[in-house]
Amino acid sequence: MEHMGIEPGRLQFSWISSAESTKFVKVVKEVTETIKSLGPRKHFIKTEAKVA
Amino acid sequence: MKVLKITKEDLAKGLDTLNKSFRLIGPVKDKDEEFHNFEELGQGELPDFNFRNTRLSPKSIVYPQSEKMFEYTLDSNDPEHDILIEVKKEPSPQVVVGIRPCDAKAFSLVKLNFDTPEYKDPYWLRRFEATTLLGLACHNPCSSCFCASAGSGPFNTESLDMLLVEEQGGYLAQVLTKKGEELAHTAGWTDEAGSDAQKQIDTMKEAAEKRIKSQISTDNLKNKLDMEIYEEPYWEDVSFSCINCGTCTYLCPTCWCFDVQDETCGNCGIRMRNWDSCMYPLFSLHGSGHNPRGEKLHRVRQRFMHKLKYYVDKYDSGIQCVGCGRCVNHCPVNIDIRRVCELMNRSEVCPVTTE
Amino acid sequence: MLEYTEKIREISQKLLKDSKVDMVIGFRKGTVPMMNEPTFIRNANEVGQLIWDSNCGINLANYLTGRKEKIGIVAKGCDSRNIVVHLVENKVNRDNLHIIGVPCKGMIDRRKIGVIYGEEILNVVEDGEKIVVEGDGDEKVYDKKDVLQENCAICIHRNPVIYDELVADLVEEQKDVDRYEDVRKIESMPPDEKWAYFEGLLKNCIRCYACRNACPLCYCPTCFVDESRPQWVGKSIDPVDTRTFHFLRAYHCAGRCTDCGACERVCPVGINVRAFTKKLEKDVKELYDWEIGLDPNVRPPLDVYKTQDPEDFIK
Repeated sequence: MEHMGIEPGRLQFSWISSAESTKFVKVVKEVTETIKSLGPRKHFIKTEAKVA
Repeated sequence: MKVLKITKEDLAKGLDTLNKSFRLIGPVKDKDEEFHNFEELGQGELPDFNFRNTRLSPKSIVYPQSEKMFEYTLDSNDPEHDILIEVKKEPSPQVVVGIRPCDAKAFSLVKLNFDTPEYKDPYWLRRFEATTLLGLACHNPCSSCFCASAGSGPFNTESLDMLLVEEQGGYLAQVLTKKGEELAHTAGWTDEAGSDAQKQIDTMKEAAEKRIKSQISTDNLKNKLDMEIYEEPYWEDVSFSCINCGTCTYLCPTCWCFDVQDETCGNCGIRMRNWDSCMYPLFSLHGSGHNPRGEKLHRVRQRFMHKLKYYVDKYDSGIQCVGCGRCVNHCPVNIDIRRVCELMNRSEVCPVTTE
Repeated sequence: MLEYTEKIREISQKLLKDSKVDMVIGFRKGTVPMMNEPTFIRNANEVGQLIWDSNCGINLANYLTGRKEKIGIVAKGCDSRNIVVHLVENKVNRDNLHIIGVPCKGMIDRRKIGVIYGEEILNVVEDGEKIVVEGDGDEKVYDKKDVLQENCAICIHRNPVIYDELVADLVEEQKDVDRYEDVRKIESMPPDEKWAYFEGLLKNCIRCYACRNACPLCYCPTCFVDESRPQWVGKSIDPVDTRTFHFLRAYHCAGRCTDCGACERVCPVGINVRAFTKKLEKDVKELYDWEIGLDPNVRPPLDVYKTQDPEDFIK
């Protein structure tokens, strides 16, 4: 995704066990912060198909 | 028929004038491409006539690859929710500059399907009627062109409104229809050519036709029975290499099949049609899961049967092919319609040999 | 190339005569310059149709998928690697194959030659390392190395990796090849430039799926773009849908793509489809030190879990 122009950080992966609530909260906070700092998405938004 | 004389400068000036009242479309070579395609010309932009033929056929000018037909909303507060509402759009008048005679002829073949006494396709017809075709005669046909034996020709005027024939320093222009006359008038092309102009055109036409090296024979197609061709053993050999892509059908100026799709985005949606291809297994897949053309042999056979046999029988006409050679040159695995046509047309049954 | 053709015919004839195979899959001469057509021969008398030259770029492994007959197959380096992938993925049974290995010297790029020649090409003759082009313009002679398909120019597995017999001695493999110069160029771009690069790359795509269908890896009974329940991708030529098709197809080929170049070769509008797949090839090489299609007995890294698998990308 990053290779074709989606900004680094917009796509994140995490492995959280159902027992790791504190990690879950921490990851959610981090993800929201990163995404907010990146601002609204510019690319790869599907609205009504661009057709004739 | 009137023949005009148009200098290169007059052509440019006229096109500039036309560009003010028409959507002008012409062959353009993208700077990083190896080929020409028809594109909308901006103000002051001129078509590039230094081409044999465009990679994609100009059929999309009248019949876009994806086209919106209806709109709908799912918002229950809207009194018209869940109703398909036809998109009312009057296509703006457009002129296709530099269309080759083969591609123009293709419109007349397709028209037989989209404009019948019983059914009329409003989307295709509206666009076609809003289109003026300003053709460009072919002095140097490609080695793979077989238009002359496919019912067309390098100077064929079918479907055209005007035909430009390049000559020293400019063009001779045959004005063929009322639309063509109006076009010439709007563009300010008024100089009538001398009385020998038609003769000059005929000479050039003959010379161009002589340059066509490739041909097909279609004389037996009509008299053969469908099943006779259908059950021929050569179809396995013909279809083996096919990868079932849509290149032949999408590049073809006479392929017209489409698929209807609904796409919802949030609360709103559109119903559109997209080009479809008989080469795809999905094309004939039934809702039950059954596929009457489940094997690639069936699909390849269908394409050639439709173009060279069913069309001929149904419309009592020539073949549904104008000999532009696009599928010949761009089939990724070199399935050649000329070779298949020879197989289908031959009168005696003999074992398949290719060398 | 003439020796190759003769040897292919000789081997095929013997295989068919001795009923070792039901059919031989190879190439026959095309009807337009620089094109050959994949074909099958069932009758030993017809082996004369088989040929070999530098226009055999289609990957014949694509024609093996799901076939149950005993097949003799003509295989250059990349075809043989895709046969290995087919074996690993159980798409074909090794016992049913007789692989006629062709040490490959690279395939020529008909588009590239078309562009540099500039006029209509009527005939192309190969003379060793020279390519003689005859057409509407003057006759021109090019060095084969200058007109190779891009993937062939950077190929490091020209020899078949698996075969039952060879049509000639093995060729020397290309050494010190920088396989990823183009990928690094894209990697160094800022995000917006990357986006624009791929936007430009795909602007002519007509969704004909030639790239997918020429690919031996793309054998899913129903491709994700053809699914309708649920519909993953729109079917129009909307740029977002078109991009989704291309990049997801590339993902499906991650760690499986041999860079045979068939996708690029068959594209009717000349899209460098490999711009997608090569990035993933590079990643798999860097992360797992993996090259696909070399050994039918080793499972690919994305197929197996190992404790030392890299996981830095997971938080």
